[in-house]
Amino acid sequence: MSHRYPVRMNRRLFLSSVAMLTVTATSPSFARSLSGSLPWAPMASDPPMQVLPGGWQFFTPQEAALVEAIVDRIIPADDLSIGGKEAGCAVYIDRQLTGAFGTSSRLYTQGPFLPALPTQGYQGEANPAQRYRTGLAAIDSFLKQRDGKSFAELQPTEQDAFLTAMEAGKVELPNGVKSSGFFGLLLQNTMEGFFADPVYGGNKDMVSWRMLGFPGARYDYRDHVSKHNQPYPQPPVSIEGRPEWLRKGA
Amino acid sequence: MKKFVFTMVIGATALTVGPAMSADQADQIMRGQYQAVLGDCAGCHNQPGGKPLAGGLPLETPFGTLVAPNITPDRTTGIGNWTETDFHNAMKTGIGHNGVRLYPAMPYPAYTRMNDRDISDLWAYLTTVEPVSNKVEANRLPFPLNIRLAMLGWNALNFTEEAFKPDPAKSAEWNRGAYIVQGPGHCGTCHTPKSFLGADKDSGFLQGASLQGWFAPDITGNAQSGLGKWSEGDLVRYLKTGVNAHSIASGPMAEAVENSTSKMTDPDLKAVAVYLKSLSPDPGNTQPAKPDEARMATGEAIYRDNCSACHGGDGDGAGELFPALAGNSIVAQGNTETLARVVLAGSQAVHTTHAPTTPAMPSLAWRLKDQEIADVLTYVRGSWGNNAPAVSSGDVAAVRKQLLP
Repeated sequence: MSHRYPVRMNRRLFLSSVAMLTVTATSPSFARSLSGSLPWAPMASDPPMQVLPGGWQFFTPQEAALVEAIVDRIIPADDLSIGGKEAGCAVYIDRQLTGAFGTSSRLYTQGPFLPALPTQGYQGEANPAQRYRTGLAAIDSFLKQRDGKSFAELQPTEQDAFLTAMEAGKVELPNGVKSSGFFGLLLQNTMEGFFADPVYGGNKDMVSWRMLGFPGARYDYRDHVSKHNQPYPQPPVSIEGRPEWLRKGA
Repeated sequence: MKKFVFTMVIGATALTVGPAMSADQADQIMRGQYQAVLGDCAGCHNQPGGKPLAGGLPLETPFGTLVAPNITPDRTTGIGNWTETDFHNAMKTGIGHNGVRLYPAMPYPAYTRMNDRDISDLWAYLTTVEPVSNKVEANRLPFPLNIRLAMLGWNALNFTEEAFKPDPAKSAEWNRGAYIVQGPGHCGTCHTPKSFLGADKDSGFLQGASLQGWFAPDITGNAQSGLGKWSEGDLVRYLKTGVNAHSIASGPMAEAVENSTSKMTDPDLKAVAVYLKSLSPDPGNTQPAKPDEARMATGEAIYRDNCSACHGGDGDGAGELFPALAGNSIVAQGNTETLARVVLAGSQAVHTTHAPTTPAMPSLAWRLKDQEIADVLTYVRGSWGNNAPAVSSGDVAAVRKQLLP
């Protein structure tokens, strides 16, 4: 089975990593002891910034049109909910790509870049912002060449067929873009935009939470745990609040 | 031989330190140290992280800034040149060494009721504190208040030197409590409403007052806003640990609990409780509050989403961790400064050896607008048997401005 692991754990590597771990864990700056009150400061908060729709911060207008068309096929408007475009999924992705997610600034991003197992996720060198830039351009040039149209100009059934082929890895996109991998990224981020808190730009008016009956940013259900087989009565609430009590102005 | 050398060393040490102390003196110093606890000297004269009694933090009064001076026996920057008579005069009349007039931020209007023996004991203790050289510029008041002689006029209008008068009709315990509350404990310095000159309004004794951005609540027997629902045991537990089933000390009271009441003896705490419980409430506001229904509905929605996780769906809290809001006297004060402040800035419970957990409330200033805070406070003040008037967004805005100038 050892051939499946890109880096084989040999004895030397094992010993050096154990040594490294020991040094880190016993270093005196690793922990500090507290006595008396726990650290606390008034007015302390670190809330996420409310994403405001309007304008694109990462996408060009052409990229935005393509992403909006794709998210609207991944989550089409139907009698369950509005579509991904109206729910703000493209806005969510745009804002995420300008932040820590887009630049992978909180991840280890140095080599070695080895082929990954399907269960290991993306292991390449490009960060999500770079993957969107090249991936969207690749889709555009592929469709221009094949159909003479942009994705948004295709019929919904044609769009679905193209996305299905992408997901199956059956589209040979230019510039070495792996179609199944890029589709996976689009699918993942579209779902995040649709189901994450509206504060991040998607899930407009908590549409997905209302659809599912998910109560949102609540964290105590003691009054309800023993009420079996009764629906939870409270409507969803986002980090920003909910329309029933949000007041205009200061 | 070993033992003999040891004794010699001890003897030599005693000789170099000073004349051997008699048992009587030691007792007096111990009693004096306890007087410093009762009087909460540390509350003002200690700076966090500083040497004991070497001078405190700036005290923001409505009239300007005063800093509690260095009261260690240092000769140049402390009170090392004072005589015991100087100290008696300062405590009883507000006139210190060389006739310098103290500002009544030093609670001599309360300390005047202390008896001579307690003041002598306190003096005996203060002379044993480590002398610290720390020059404090105490008087940072604006002109003309910075002229100390102005206190001559203030005293003529607002101050009478008087000893504590025991009430022979009451028990010894009650009288002990009255003495601590009115004298060394100087509870009224924070809890009694002030006149425009900053003097206690005796008619409102302990009915609550605003200071330093907090409202020191009513501690009379009022059933809504005072201690009417608290048993003597509740009161003792609060003063000893900073927390009981009704309330958790925070803000300036947290400091008073930490430095003073948590170190008082159980019989003294019981006496304080007996006395406070005997104070008859202001019969004033018994009109049921009739808050606007729409605001109550909005307030309830805000409460469900922001407060109920800790304070309970019915305001019943969670033991001594999260205070109940139903029947909570802090909720029912006439002045809502503390309430608005706690919602905006959050608050941390006092740390005492008996209650070391220090649960804290998070700041909600980022999430709730002034109007929303006013709505939820109106709901809390008018629900579950609480019966206090509505809160306006202007009240909240004023506190927010103080916190975020």
